[in-house]
This record gives sequence, C-alpha cells and structure tokens, in this order.
Amino acid sequence: MIAMVMFVGMLAQEGDLERVLGEQRKLHEVLDRAVPAYVFIGGGSGVCISEDGWILSNHHVAGDAGRTWQVRFAGGRKCTADVVGFDPLGDISLLRVRDGKGLPFAEPGDSDALRIGERVFAVGNPFALGNGSWEPTVTFGVVSALHRYQDWYMDAVQTDAQINPGNSGGPLFTMEGKVVGINGRIEIRRFVNRVNTGIGYAIPSNQILRYLKYFKAGGRVMHGYIEGITLGECGDDRYENTGAYGDGVFVAGIEENSPGAKAGLDIGDLLVEAGGQRCFNANRFHGIVGTYPQGETIPVRARRWNKEKKEWSEFEVSIFLGDPSKVRAADTAMGKFELGFVPAFDYPDLGVEIDRVVEGGAAAAAGLRVGDIVVQIDGRRVKSPLDLKEALALKKAGSTVQLRVLRDGEALEIPLELKEAKTEEKSLPPPFDPKKLPRKPLEEVPPDRHREEER
Amino acid sequence: MNGAWIAVLGSCLPAAQEGEDGVSFERVLRALREKVAPSVVAVEVDRSADPDGETGTGPVASHRDYYNRPKGVTSGTIVEADGFILTTYFNVSGTLREIAVVLPDGTRHEAALVGFDRSRDIALLKIEAGNLPVLPRASSYRQGDFVALVGRSPDAELATLNQGILSAVSRHNGTAVQMDAELNYGNVGGALVNLRGELIGVASHIRPREAWGQSSGVGFATKVSEVEKVLPRLKKGEKIEKDPQPWIGIQGGEGDPQYEGVQIGQVVPNSPAAKAGLREGDVLHRVGGVKVADVEELRAEILKHKIGDKIVLSVLRKVDGEAERKEEKIEVTLEANPN
Repeated sequence: MIAMVMFVGMLAQEGDLERVLGEQRKLHEVLDRAVPAYVFIGGGSGVCISEDGWILSNHHVAGDAGRTWQVRFAGGRKCTADVVGFDPLGDISLLRVRDGKGLPFAEPGDSDALRIGERVFAVGNPFALGNGSWEPTVTFGVVSALHRYQDWYMDAVQTDAQINPGNSGGPLFTMEGKVVGINGRIEIRRFVNRVNTGIGYAIPSNQILRYLKYFKAGGRVMHGYIEGITLGECGDDRYENTGAYGDGVFVAGIEENSPGAKAGLDIGDLLVEAGGQRCFNANRFHGIVGTYPQGETIPVRARRWNKEKKEWSEFEVSIFLGDPSKVRAADTAMGKFELGFVPAFDYPDLGVEIDRVVEGGAAAAAGLRVGDIVVQIDGRRVKSPLDLKEALALKKAGSTVQLRVLRDGEALEIPLELKEAKTEEKSLPPPFDPKKLPRKPLEEVPPDRHREEER
Repeated sequence: MNGAWIAVLGSCLPAAQEGEDGVSFERVLRALREKVAPSVVAVEVDRSADPDGETGTGPVASHRDYYNRPKGVTSGTIVEADGFILTTYFNVSGTLREIAVVLPDGTRHEAALVGFDRSRDIALLKIEAGNLPVLPRASSYRQGDFVALVGRSPDAELATLNQGILSAVSRHNGTAVQMDAELNYGNVGGALVNLRGELIGVASHIRPREAWGQSSGVGFATKVSEVEKVLPRLKKGEKIEKDPQPWIGIQGGEGDPQYEGVQIGQVVPNSPAAKAGLREGDVLHRVGGVKVADVEELRAEILKHKIGDKIVLSVLRKVDGEAERKEEKIEVTLEANPN
C-alpha cells in the first residue's frame, strides 16, 4: 500500500520531468534551425535572412553603405559582405554577402503578433566570448513589453532575454525560429558598468520589413514623416482640453497642398489610429510613423465632429510620407550650390570622398562616382568638406569648375557644372507656435463629449 | 477491493493537464533543489583583498567597492564524499586568514586550501567530515539545455536556485560552459545542474576584472570533466598558476576595408609592439611571412611561438599625402602576456 503511494508519487514527478524535457527538446530543435543563421560582424552581431546572403545588423555595428566586412557565420565560415542600405535613425544596416549562395538563413516574423510573456531567445556575441571558437551565445527569456519608444528606438520590443555589449545587431527569435527583432539597446546601471539589467530593446521585424526594399536599393533610407501637419495632444491645456489624454492626437494646424491636406484631413480632426495601431499620444504617433520609410503611404484613422448631426464620424485616409528624392537633393546642397553628391567625412588630409551620387544630379551628369576623392577644385587643394565649401564660396551658379579626383589610384580631371540649390524646398514642417492655433473648430466641440466615449 | 484502492489513488494523483506547463516546471525545479542542495555548501572566507591581484580595483577606480567581492558567504560544491569541496580560485585568493565551510546540516568546519587551478578558476578545500553526498555527473549537455544554479548565499542554511539555459558549451579555452542563469559573488562556486539534477559544472569566472560583472546573464561553470582532469593534481597540493602566453600587445581596430589584415586600433604602452615601433592605424598583415586576416588569426599565429622569440611583422603604414600605404617590416620580441 505504501509502496503503491510512493510509486504514484514518483509517477507524478516523472510526468512533470517529461513535460519539461519536452519543452527543452523544442528549444533544442529551434536552436538547431536558428543558430546557423547567426553572423559575427566586427564587434557585434547580425543575422542572415536569405539564402543568397542578405544580412541584417544594427547601423552602430555595421555602419554606412560602402563599408565592407569580413563576417563569419556561426561555426566559422568566412564571407565578405558589403553594407548596401542603412538607416542611422532606426539603427539598421543591411549587408549583402558577395557571391552568396546556399547560405543558412532565418525568416523574419510578424512582430505585431507577439504577445507579452511569449518566450523568445537572443543569439549574440556578448563580450566577444564567441571569437575564435565561433560559437555564439544564446540567452532565453520572454517578451516584456511592446511598442517601446526609448530615445530613438521608436517601436521597440522589450525583452528580458539577457542582452549585453556584443549582442547588438543580432536576432531575437520566437520559438518558431522567426526573427522578430534586431537587438540593439539595453538599459544599464549608468556610471557603473555596461551590462544587462533585465531590459533589452529590439527593433521590430515589421519595421525592418517595411524598409527592406529601400535598403536593398541602396544608400541611406530616410524615415517617413507627415509633412505640413502640426499635431496637438488631447488633454493638453494649451489646446483648450480637446478630449482626454489617450484619445489620440489632433490636427492643430495644416498646410495647404501638404500630403495631409491632400489626403483629406482638416484642422480639428482627431487621429486615433495610424498604421492599424492605436496612437494614444504624440509619442506613440511619432513612434508608429517612424516605422515607415519615406516614400510609403500610411493609413490613418481619424474622427471628425459633424456639427449638424452633432456626432462623430470616423473615416480613414492614406497619407504619403515625404519624397525621398527631394530630401536627398537637399542633402547635397553645399551652400548655394546643388552639387549632386554627398561628401564623406572620414578622409582627413587626403581629400573629400564622394559618399553618394544623386541620380540625375550635376555630379552624376559629370561622371563622378562613389569612392572618388576630390583633391583639387580649379587648382586649389581641397582636403576636407570645409575646404570644399570655401573653394566654392566665390563661384557663381551656372559656372563650371575643374575637379581633380583620385579614382583607383589614378588622377582624373572632371568638369562639374554648379547648379543653384533650390531654396524653396523645405524638408521639415514649420515649428509649432501655440499663438497661431486656430480657434474656430474647437469651440464647436462639446467639452464633455470625449468623456462619454468609450476608450 | 484492489480496484477501489486504485481508483482512490488515481483521484489523488496531481494530474498534469494541458496548459499546466508552468506548474510542471515549478515542480521539477523544486525537486531539483531538494536533490542538489545537500551537495552545495556555504564557504566563509576571511581575507584581505590584494590591490594588484584578482581582488583589487577593477577598471573603474571610483567604484572600488563594487568590484571588490563583498563580505559574506560564498558557495562551494562537494566533489568527494570524504570532505573535498570545490569553490572558485577567486573566492579564496588574496591574503587568507581563515576558510570555513558550513554544511547543509548547519555544522561549521574549518577548511584547508589544498590546491587551485587559476585558469580554470577552481580551488580545492578539505574539511574533516565524511559520507558527504556527491552529485552524479551529467553524461552530456548541449546549447539550449535548461539548467539550474544552486548556491548558498547569504544564508548558509538556505539553498538558492537561479534558472536559465546553457548559452554556449565551449568558453575559456574549452574549460567552461556559459549559461544565462544569474551568477553573482554569492552563488559562484555553486553547482550547475541539468533538469535531472546531474552536475554539469561548478559556477566560476566572476571576478572584478571581467567586463561582464555580476548578474548580467553571462555566467560560466567549469566543466566537471575539467575538474576531474586536474583533481588528482589539486589533491596533491598543486597550485597551478596560469601558463604565460606570448604576446605583442595590440588591440584590433575597426578594419580598413581596402586592406586585409589587422588594423591596429591601440598599441598597449610598454608592450613588445610599442617597443618595436608599431603604430595605431598600421595594418598588420603578415606574421613571420604568414598572412593574417584578422585578430583571431593573428593570435593563433603568435601562439605558435614562444616568449622571447623574435618575429618579423609586415605592416602597411599610411604615408601622409599618398593614397597607397607603404610596407614596413618590423621585428618584435615576444613577451609574456601580463593579463
């Protein structure tokens, strides 16, 4: 009888152990699939997301387009990879392995489908512990929070899977082996030491997927912003209490012919959702928009007060997020001229290296290429972008200057026409001035209307 | 009659139903702790910190206190029934006055430091006690295994349990595994076990000079196989210091994409590299004629030589005003790595 009871007691324990061993087995299986896609890049990490060698990493690990890295896959296989597209604000760089074929890879997953408490694991190389043996580090935890706006990470996945210096650029995986984030930031004990404290942030895969085709096209990818709209936050006293905090953000000002106006928005409209996500305050709104690159359109759900019917109507608009080529052109203006190339800032004393050439611009027309180093303008020695600016200071628009450039060790003489920079291209909406806030529509909103609404 | 009894017992079975994974895990951990705790002891060390050694100031001088091991008990694991206990070298380094071990039954025993192995970060203690329970060893393990770390700090009578996974199986020259169960100055020396309570290793490599600090999710355990390898030597009283390695004293930099080799980011002052005239920004691409593409290959090549050897390094050095770098051949005499 006692023996029976003891036997039954052990059975219970064995059953428990079997279940947990089953969980362990699931982790083993997903690691076998996921870890081979991991890539060691310099002092940090990356992950291969296609069989022909597209690799994701953080921008603060891999850098700008034009950088070349000797990377190693988990296990030590060496490849050469070039940074193709990058987003410094979103902290992502996309690399391409040269002649990549048959490489191990992991697929990006749906970061919006993540649930708090869901198990995730990070693969990385904290403290360079994997160097030499090329065995990356795996840490296991859960999703702690979603949609974190921390410093410049606008929509981060927060996890307690331990992330440390060296994990940056590496993948955050679900138990299905899908990449749902690129780990990049942690909260540390300031002034003590830079180690994990249980809070790690990953850039969500859905943001990266929206940017992916732009990364593949190459160069810097700019973040989307809604031009010509000034936003106010509900519940803010300055806006005469339009609604309660959490309802959304509202259009406090709008420019004629701006994308927002063209999409059909008007002053006083309450924006409640962007990109399918609730935007309960300005921070969240900017966070959502930031996950879209320039050139995309974002769906926005808004509410408008109908004064005749005395009710809210809800509608959806699609807003165009800024034209990348306009901003790039503004980038290439140096003083009063639009040169059509962007100078790099890291060749002191030799010359000005061309970092990017704008399609259809003056530099492109002249035959200048990325990597060319400008060493003289009209006989005057140019060693830095400052020298470049000074050399151009007294020139006139429409004139042509002789550039001496170094290309592959050869010195070439290339004439460049100085186009005038267009000054009416504005790349940012005007700063908000509370005194200019129009009063008209707000008086018509019944002050307690919002409190009756369900959140 | 029997049928009735079986039915009653059946209804008493704590049924593991669908969706009760969390409960199963809890029960497994509890059972684990009960199995493992008797083999984990508290170690009290009365010592003075050694300012220049392992116990002294860390990289941030203003946080000296943070980097010194705090007062209090640390942990040890029973490795042999007749009173041999393993803890970490760091736990017993410095100027020792007294070591004592508190067994799970509460009895306090004076302990002798028998031997240690610095590179494996283990130290062997002996107490006058017998018939102590020893854990069975794990026959195999792999990355992703669920593990638990059992320690006994700060209360010698209460075993602590931290849970995580095996993060990697080959660290510290293959002598240790890495895990993400939080490791701190208290539970270092404790037992790292798998779900069945089998010993994988003894928690180690937490000390002031390491960048990973405490409880960062980066922790290590010296493998049981490594312990067994040196145990006979430790029992004889051997104090195994680190084998000095040959060294030139440079740190790799960012890497100039144009040139294959090691871009020198920093030259350590007074190092062989400094004395020979290597400079920051140089690209080191050959060691004694052998091509090296990165820091790892450089290290591997240097380790093929001995301390005192003279080797010729080929570097590509930037010349002011010229696009091409110049090749320089620099002779370096290898010295012992002081780290």
